[in-house]
Formats: sequence, C-alpha cells, structure tokens
Amino acid sequence: MPSVFDDIQFYLFNHHHYIDVPENADDYESVWVDLPNALFDPERGHALYQRFARELRLGEALGFDAIALNEHHNTHYSLMPATSVRAAYMVAQTERVKLMVAGVPINLSWPSRVAEEYAMLDVMSGGRMEFGFPLGTGMEYWSNAGQLNPATSRARFREGLEVVRQAWTAPGPSRYDGEFFNYRYLNTFPQPFQKPHPKMYIVGSGSEETVQLAVEFETGYSVVFVPIRQQLQAFAEFRRLTEEAGRETRPEDIVITNIVYVADTDADAVREAKPHIEQFFSWFHRVPPKFLLPPGYVSTEEYLRRVSSTALAEGTKATWDDMVAIGRIACGSPDTVADLLSHWAEEAGTSRLLVTLSIGDMPEWKAVKNMTLFAEEVIPRIRARGSAAGAPGTVAAVSP
Amino acid sequence: MSSSFTQRTLDVNGIETVVLEAGSGEPLVFLHGAGTITGFDSLLPLAERFRLIVPHHPGFGLSADDPTVGRIEDYARHYLDVFDLMGIRELSLVGHSMGGYLAATLAIDGTERVRRLVLAAPLGLRVPEHPTQDIFTIPGDQFLEHLSADLSIFEGKVPDPPTPEFLAHSFRETTSAARILWERPYDTRLPRWLHRLTMPTLLLWGDADRIIPVEQIDVWADHVRGAERRVLPGVGHLLFDESAAAVTAVGDFVGEELTV
Repeated sequence: MPSVFDDIQFYLFNHHHYIDVPENADDYESVWVDLPNALFDPERGHALYQRFARELRLGEALGFDAIALNEHHNTHYSLMPATSVRAAYMVAQTERVKLMVAGVPINLSWPSRVAEEYAMLDVMSGGRMEFGFPLGTGMEYWSNAGQLNPATSRARFREGLEVVRQAWTAPGPSRYDGEFFNYRYLNTFPQPFQKPHPKMYIVGSGSEETVQLAVEFETGYSVVFVPIRQQLQAFAEFRRLTEEAGRETRPEDIVITNIVYVADTDADAVREAKPHIEQFFSWFHRVPPKFLLPPGYVSTEEYLRRVSSTALAEGTKATWDDMVAIGRIACGSPDTVADLLSHWAEEAGTSRLLVTLSIGDMPEWKAVKNMTLFAEEVIPRIRARGSAAGAPGTVAAVSP
Repeated sequence: MSSSFTQRTLDVNGIETVVLEAGSGEPLVFLHGAGTITGFDSLLPLAERFRLIVPHHPGFGLSADDPTVGRIEDYARHYLDVFDLMGIRELSLVGHSMGGYLAATLAIDGTERVRRLVLAAPLGLRVPEHPTQDIFTIPGDQFLEHLSADLSIFEGKVPDPPTPEFLAHSFRETTSAARILWERPYDTRLPRWLHRLTMPTLLLWGDADRIIPVEQIDVWADHVRGAERRVLPGVGHLLFDESAAAVTAVGDFVGEELTV
C-alpha cells in the first residue's frame, strides 16, 4: 500500500485577518456580523493586503505546493469577503503554486456566477486551481440582507453544487430546473482549464450532512474550525461512507487543517507563538451562539448538543493547554512538529496538509520566520517518510 | 365550565398536529404566534362560552416539525385540512401575531367559513413608518421585555438562566418561524386582498406593544373596512397573557350575536 507521504503536499493558508485589536475590545461581544465597520482603516487594510501577498509569494518561493484562501463576511477575521478577487490577484502574483480557493459559499452568490469566476481563475492560472465549497458559517447568513434563509441553506447549497458541476461538465447550453434555481441556458464560458474540472472539496465543520454531501458529489472533504480529533472522526465517517458507495478514499481526497508554529526548541516555539494564537481564539473567534447558529442552520438536536457542550459554548475562552490537548495546534521544534503532523496525516490517511503559519496578531517577521523554518526544517522531515525518491518531484508534477 | 384543556393529536397529511380543546358550543379557533412558551391557559375563560380550539402549528409546541413549510399559505391550507378533519364547517377565528397573519391569510380564501375574525397584534403588513421589530435580531437579554410589558407572566415558564433544553425549544420554534418569516415578516401582496375580510372583524392591540407597534392598527383598519378596533392601554405584545380584558374582549366580540 502506498504511503500517504509519497505525494504529501503542503498548503499554505492565510486568514487575511485585519489584525489590529481595538483598545476597547472588551466592549464588543462579537468580531463577526455586527462589529462596527468604523474600526476599519483603509490605509491599514491596504498595508495588510500587501503584507499577506508577500507572505503567500514567499510561500511559493519556499516550495509550498499550494496557497489557500477563503471567504468570510462582516468580520475582522478576514479581509476576503470576495475571495475570487483575492485569488485573481494571487494568480497574477505567482507562477507555480496551486491555489486553493475555499471559497465562496455558493449560497451567497449565484451558482452560475461561481462557476464562471472559478473557471476564469482556472484558465487564467493555466490550471492551478482547486476549489473548496463551504456551506458558509452561520455568521454569513446574518450578513446577507435576509434574502438567504438559513432554514433552507443546506437544500440550496446542494442545488448550487449541482449547478456548478453541471456548468463545468455538461455540454452547454444545458437546462437546470431546481427548487431554488432555474437555468434556461446554462452555458458557462469559459470552461475550466482542468478536465473534467478542477479538484473540488466540500468544506465542512464535521457535520454528518456535509460528510454525506461530499460522498454523494464524489468530492474531497475538508474540515475547518474544529479540533483535530473531530476532524479525524469526520474523515473516518467520510471514508466509511465512500466505501459504502463502492469507492475508495484517496489520500488527496482529505485535507487536514492545522495551526502550526515551529522554532528551534519546543520551549521557544510555545513562548513565541502562544500570545498570538491565544489572541486568535480570544478575539477573532469571538462570536456569540446566536450568530454561530441562526435559526434552522442546524437541526434542533444538533443545536441542543452544541449548547449543552461546555467546550463548544465556551470556545473563545479555551486556554492554551486546552488547545494543545485537543490537538488544534502543532507547536514546537522541527522534530516535534514533523512528528505530530506525520502522525495526524497517517491517522487521517491524507496527503494534503493545510497549515496556518501566520495567525492572530503575529508580526510579519515572526510569520516569515515560522514559514521559513517550516519549509526548510519540517517539510523535508515529513517528505523523507515517503518511499525514497518520491518527495521532491511532487511540486513539479502539479505544474501544467 | 372547563378548567383545563384536553389534548388530541391529528394526523394532518402525515404531520402530527396537536390540538388543545376546552368547552363546548360554537367553535372558536385560536391561532398562536411564533412561540408557545407561555402556554394557553390564559384563554380558558373563553371555554365558558365556546368550544375553544387551540392547535399547535407544525414546528411549534407539541406538534411535529414540517420542514416543507415555506410560506404562510402552507399554514393556512394546513388549517383548512385541520378543520375538515375535525368536521368543522364554520368557526370564529382568533389569530395572534404570526397567527394573525395566518388568520388573515386563511380568511381571505375561506371567507365563507370564518364567521367572525379577531386579529390580535397581527403580523403581516409592511408599515415602513412603524416597522415591526425584527424578532431574529433582538438581543437575547432583551427578548422578554420586548415580548411583554409585564415580565411576571414568564415566572415559572422561562428558566433563569435559560437551560440548554429551553434554548433548544426556542431555537426550534424560531427555526419554524424563519421558514416563513426570515426573508420578510410580511406579505406585500396582503393589502391587495384584505377587502375580502367582509366578516365582522375585530382589531385588538396593546398600546405598549414593542414587537408590532400599535400604530399599525390604522393601516389594517384602512384595508379591512368596517373592522372594530380595541386598544388596551399599558398592554404589550403578549396581550392574552398580560390582560384578562383582552380575553374578555374576544369573548364579547365573538359572542355578540349569541348573547342577543
């Protein structure tokens, strides 16, 4: 059986936080949905866009296989409410790396438009794109003019996925007649560069519904916002259901997401990373349950499960030790980090490791140091676990 | 005289629908608003004069969920089925809040079945000058004071602090409300058809309503010609929990012909 390390690939993710925390931070119950936008300074925003582009370009230079972007709305958590716009910029700023856009919640757009924008990106980049399709957090549903009913979000999301897939694979013009969408002439132009279409992932938070959707649509699956233990449970379920459907889960069908900080020693790493990662959870993850779970976004049973769980209800108050204990964070020396990530990759059966190396209010120098050490000291250690010569060729193999 | 409800469960197109009943005589159906937390015991005095029927809407209280509900008309037609199943041809109808929106919608199409109509602080109209409070964005710690001018009505019914089970109950009912109200808590087409409400109609409101401002009563009255109005001073949105006079007003209006 081939090892997951034979084609191990590293995805460098960048949140694009608006990193400044207001002096009166304690006055705000939420960093999402209703945080006053007067707190945004466009000159500061411009500087941050420039900084994060530098980090992502450095990622390419350091040999990461892919860079990854996502989308959120009404929040300092992310400067990317229009992720395709950012992705187009990064396509022009890079030459080799894959770009994973993970991505526009289809429900917040028109599926035909998502198919068009993504096909444009794939053609412009010469086939370097991968796409993750999220349902969108509960917070996104508060941010969109009341036109988007969270109680029907999952049914609408399913149709949106069908439209995107049909737009990319059925000869156009074709018709789509659904409960939410009725296309008389679905005829997406341009068509994607990659055939039959760019790699697709469903991005979920481990719920049964999204796992099933990924199996049904035969996409890959990725879990965000949740600890590694829950990610692994969701992957096990994904693998089980995929087998039930008569297929095998390939290592590239699963993406695990991790917060990583590497330094010379374990103690150095914790000392350098801890304040920024704690700030990430205490500020950027500050969101009250009412925004997290709009009516109908989850079933009543799931809602009860979540409000009954102290860990979930008190998510933003989690301590460093809690976070390390539940395995959201890989923080330590190159050996420590390589061992942890390798272990998780093997356990998940994945060859796709998405890492967040620039997080919270971490200054650029520290992010650059972290990225450089990760690329030079951790990546080779993990690649070395593959069968002898497999590792170095993987980067070139993905370029068109 | 009846001092409590009896409860039965109807199978309405596969959806278990719980119906509370008390008293005998002319059927008087009460359509509740977007929550059931305070219960319906405050309506029991009506059972002294009528066959009081209080169904729980699908997705609320003891009735089963119906995720296929997507518009207020779905509930209106659900109740036409309920009345058929119960063998009730003519009835008087009281609708409160979202139930008022529902009662008006039902009565527009079922004019020959609704003998008398009471719309109590009804939802359903878009009144930009006096807008309905968006129930989905009221901060949790201000919710009860928006609902009622008299917080004592929640004693023994709303745990403080709220338990996970209570929160889940609210989440379920808010989800059911969202199915028909999330996009907009009114129907811009409704005024066009309100002239069809030719049955004797009472518009009943508390002037301390912080969910649906009492000023909206004028807009309803403009469209429902000949409707009587009754405004209760110092009473909030949950008028039947807050005010025995509100319950009496319903009984007097619906029973007007009967007591002659």
